[in-house]
Amino acid sequence: MSVLATTGLTKRYGGLMANDGVAVALTQGEIRGLIGPNGAGKTTFVNLVTGIERPDAGEVMLNGSAITGFGPHRVAKNGLVRSFQVARVFGNLSVRENLLVPYFASERTSGRASALARITELLRLSTLEPLADHLAKSLSGGQRMLLQACAGFMIPGVKVHVLDEPFAGINPVVKDTLIELILNENQAGATFLIVSHEMEIIRRICPRVTVMIAGKVAAEGPLEEIARRDDVVTAYLGRSLQ
Amino acid sequence: MYSTELLIQTLIAGVMIGVLYALMALGITFIYSIVRMINWAMGEFYMLGSYIQYVAVAYALGRNYWWLAILVSTAGTFLIGYLLEPLLIKPMHVRPMERRDDYATVVTIALLLMLRSLAVAIGGPYQYRPETNLPIMWVGPLPMEGARVMATVFALAALAVFYFVISKTWIGLALRAMAQNRVAAQTSGVDVFRFDAIAFAIGVALAGLAGALLAPLFLVYPTNGAVTTVKGFEIIVIGGLGSIPGALVGGVLLGVVESLGAAFISSPYQNAYGFALVLLILLIRPYGLFGERGREA
Repeated sequence: MSVLATTGLTKRYGGLMANDGVAVALTQGEIRGLIGPNGAGKTTFVNLVTGIERPDAGEVMLNGSAITGFGPHRVAKNGLVRSFQVARVFGNLSVRENLLVPYFASERTSGRASALARITELLRLSTLEPLADHLAKSLSGGQRMLLQACAGFMIPGVKVHVLDEPFAGINPVVKDTLIELILNENQAGATFLIVSHEMEIIRRICPRVTVMIAGKVAAEGPLEEIARRDDVVTAYLGRSLQ
Repeated sequence: MYSTELLIQTLIAGVMIGVLYALMALGITFIYSIVRMINWAMGEFYMLGSYIQYVAVAYALGRNYWWLAILVSTAGTFLIGYLLEPLLIKPMHVRPMERRDDYATVVTIALLLMLRSLAVAIGGPYQYRPETNLPIMWVGPLPMEGARVMATVFALAALAVFYFVISKTWIGLALRAMAQNRVAAQTSGVDVFRFDAIAFAIGVALAGLAGALLAPLFLVYPTNGAVTTVKGFEIIVIGGLGSIPGALVGGVLLGVVESLGAAFISSPYQNAYGFALVLLILLIRPYGLFGERGREA
């Protein structure tokens, strides 16, 4: 059974069909890439799935139960967390506090100790350890991306992480750290949907990719296979390679 | 006539009343930071606090338990705020609105009028004074009304509790996170609507507390919150909207300037000195002492 599945997800902005009957299904433990040219509706799809926006039609199922139309905090508590293209961190909180917020938002019975143990682990993996007590606004763009990803990993019981352009505009070292963080969480059982233009990284970590073009799912499968398809190449380049 | 005793007495009196003004300003700034709206009915929560204080002392607890009545008034306004917020303010956030600020302004001004009319309907256009058992107290060499001294003590205690909640508890952490990035707080799993209600309730409870504390001095009547609200907004301009230190420093500054003006220039114009200070601040630092130039979209 798929851990996250959408059926017929549709969103209109005036005359524009941003999402037109999008159906995507992720199996437990996979890392799926979501690619497509600019304006294909990838971010709209992420917004619909994670409760930032409400779909005009269609359904979002998480572990077999509908979460369509839930607000973002309920979606998060149900085990589906997202990151943003421009990292949204709490600038005037310390790095450590940034990680406490998502933990305590859903889990306050087990107390501080288990939260702090988890924080220590994530700070080590993300190489943010020396900055633990710095304010988040003092971090670089890449470090903020790492912090945002770690914040998502802090919510107990999360099954699916949706990352919107996590690699955009960050340096190669930070990229590698972030990839390791993702693979580490994936080993622990988390499922990922990664929106990205970084084909090299997608090729490395995503066995399957979904391609969106003009608000619809155009193709799905291993990247090598998809990259040979004419319609996909045309959508990216505006013309076929032949 | 200048004398050192008068100067010291005036400064102490100014700081004491300033701390109470600061409660109002803190409430306004706090609600603005979290719920993203100006609560124009702040003075009416001050008024509610003062009425609850009067009713509790006169009909239930008696003058010896004035301090218990203070707690009841604060808790009462907190509860009223907590119940009203989901009803009146929440719609502003649930569906994205085009004119959010207009909505909040209209709703809270309507609430202001409704609460005032309710006070007239129930209590009539009369002035009441809740009693206390407090004697004259000596602050150093100066005799002062006991109620005034205890009002300051309670206000300082409330500020300490507020500081503790905001900096040391989970609720405080969640509220600080929300103030900085509402969407990120939401996607972290924070139930922002519940915390909106909590923040609104804390903010109006600060006003209710100020009303209850000042009731024996400034009396209880339907429009008694108006002057204090104006002071609250003066302080916001002085200290900067959204700044907690600004509210505290601005409050004390306003209290001191008013007291000094009343003592050394002319007392009938006491309220005008505050406005002079506001104009001065607007000239030299239009965004307030602790305010930031512009803010994030």
